[in-house]
Amino acid sequence: MDALIRAAARALASGDPLRALQCVALREDADGLALRGIAMAQLGELARARDLLRRAARRFGANERARARCVVAEAEVTLALRESVPTQRLDAATSVLELHGDRQNVAHARLLAARHALLLGRVDEAEQACADVELGGAPPMLRSIGALVQADIEIRRGRATQARSALQRARKAASVAGIDALAAEVDRALARLDAPAARIVRHGGETVARLDEVQAVLGGHALVVDACRRVVGPCSLARRPVLFGLARRLAEAWPHDVSRQQLLERVFGQRRASESLRARLRVEIGRLRAALRGVAEIEATGQGFRFAPLHGDVVLLLPPVEGDDAAVLALVSDGAAWSTSVLALALGVSQRTVQRALRELEAQGRVRAIGRARARRWSLAAVSGHATAFSLPATPAVHYDPSDADGTEA
Amino acid sequence: MELKREFGPLVTTGSVHGLAWDGERVWFASSEGLKALDPRTGEIMRTLAMAADAGTAFDGRHLYQIVEDRIVKIEPDTGEVVATIPAPGLGDDSGLTWAEGSLWVGQYGARKIVQIDPETGAVRRTIQSDRFVTGVSWADGELWHATGENDTSELRRVDPDTGEVLERHDAPAGAFISGLTTDGESFYAGGGSSRKILKVARRGER
Repeated sequence: MDALIRAAARALASGDPLRALQCVALREDADGLALRGIAMAQLGELARARDLLRRAARRFGANERARARCVVAEAEVTLALRESVPTQRLDAATSVLELHGDRQNVAHARLLAARHALLLGRVDEAEQACADVELGGAPPMLRSIGALVQADIEIRRGRATQARSALQRARKAASVAGIDALAAEVDRALARLDAPAARIVRHGGETVARLDEVQAVLGGHALVVDACRRVVGPCSLARRPVLFGLARRLAEAWPHDVSRQQLLERVFGQRRASESLRARLRVEIGRLRAALRGVAEIEATGQGFRFAPLHGDVVLLLPPVEGDDAAVLALVSDGAAWSTSVLALALGVSQRTVQRALRELEAQGRVRAIGRARARRWSLAAVSGHATAFSLPATPAVHYDPSDADGTEA
Repeated sequence: MELKREFGPLVTTGSVHGLAWDGERVWFASSEGLKALDPRTGEIMRTLAMAADAGTAFDGRHLYQIVEDRIVKIEPDTGEVVATIPAPGLGDDSGLTWAEGSLWVGQYGARKIVQIDPETGAVRRTIQSDRFVTGVSWADGELWHATGENDTSELRRVDPDTGEVLERHDAPAGAFISGLTTDGESFYAGGGSSRKILKVARRGER
């Protein structure tokens, strides 16, 4: 390793790819190619980065440690390209680095595995990967990234307080590292944590709430009808939009009742109440009762129906703003990986509407896709992904089994 | 690192930076212009009169220099300006780098980077660097216990016949920030505000 390589490596470690390129742009040796590749990745030139890293790996020949580093760097580029990371190759490279005592890159590779898991909505796996990372004595840049991944996990678990303290750790480490861009990332995440997370409707009044306030509601004794996640108490109605629609209207009106007429209009979109429609309404209310057994009861009144919670109030949570984008983001915010078909089903809108909303959210850096065609899934973007914004959920995660979200079609 | 030779002070004000080896000469930028140093004689072979506080790049054949709102392309053998393209206007203190077929203009502090076509100056991409992207570390673990302060390297002057150490300097790593290039055997480091260029041997490198 010569002085130029070392200077370039330092420059990259401090987030200055141009200074690194000043040193190595004209070099065709293995180290030079590798560092050019990493610099290109930092500049967002991902296809070229991948090409340079592959050439570097070939040129390194028998140098196992260097090749393993190239594999890890290439995996990071793959993650950024939103393609599926070859996890076995990454694990094998991590083992090689461990054998060679390359602690820093072992930590980096494990954090990369955690970031990949988060992108796939596999929060448990991410948490496990994070637990395996040893960051004691690590350079502040790595500690900052580790704390950001941790914050990401806490958000998806619905733990706003822990997320905030992780972000504060991330911020402090970023300052020590002296990397402005990293500090900017953390600041953006902290700002989102303070942004409106949901609207709370209670006793006919509506207030805008931050994430921790929403969490307080969820942790309290009220029956929460969550229009962000399409969940009532512990019951997910994401695949039953009619039932959820009824629950929402009842929650909105509580403690008053809602007339049959209003329910038919709002939930079925029908102005004229024919006998068959009223019969259908009775059937759906029956289904809703069955779904919410043990959680809440629904009373029939003279005019219509009313929620009768078993104890406590009924509270309705709405996305912080109206609109398809907010509704899609709210659903995706549970941290799972969703297909467009299930999103459309949950929201009771067309797949085209969902796709349009997803494109907009993607442009804002709030959601990411992984996979292609039928296997394509959408999830929250995270700072721990490559060069993306840290997106916070509209409401904290109700622990939602990702296998529920897997549609059979894209 | 072993200090083999010192050149300078090479200018009377400002600093030296932006070093590039063109096969024969070490080019460097300074407020007194773009200059070429002959490392065999220690003489300044050429001075191109242009304000060159920052923004010098080399693509292996030609030099590029930001001059106000333009980037000039220079043939190092003759010192002639062979082309001029518009600069993206990020300010006088922008850095310039040639890499992977593009010129990259970066604001100091690396908040914004503009990628341009070296032939036309057309903007290919603008990067708002408020997002941090990590990368695999090539720094061989030396940063593991860094506290964020500058680590230091020792600079030694050694008697070439006896190998005796004549002088030692603690050179902060930042001393070489102002520029670094190689002729294939030795390194030339810009001494920043010392206005010198240091020729440094490869001894002690892994």
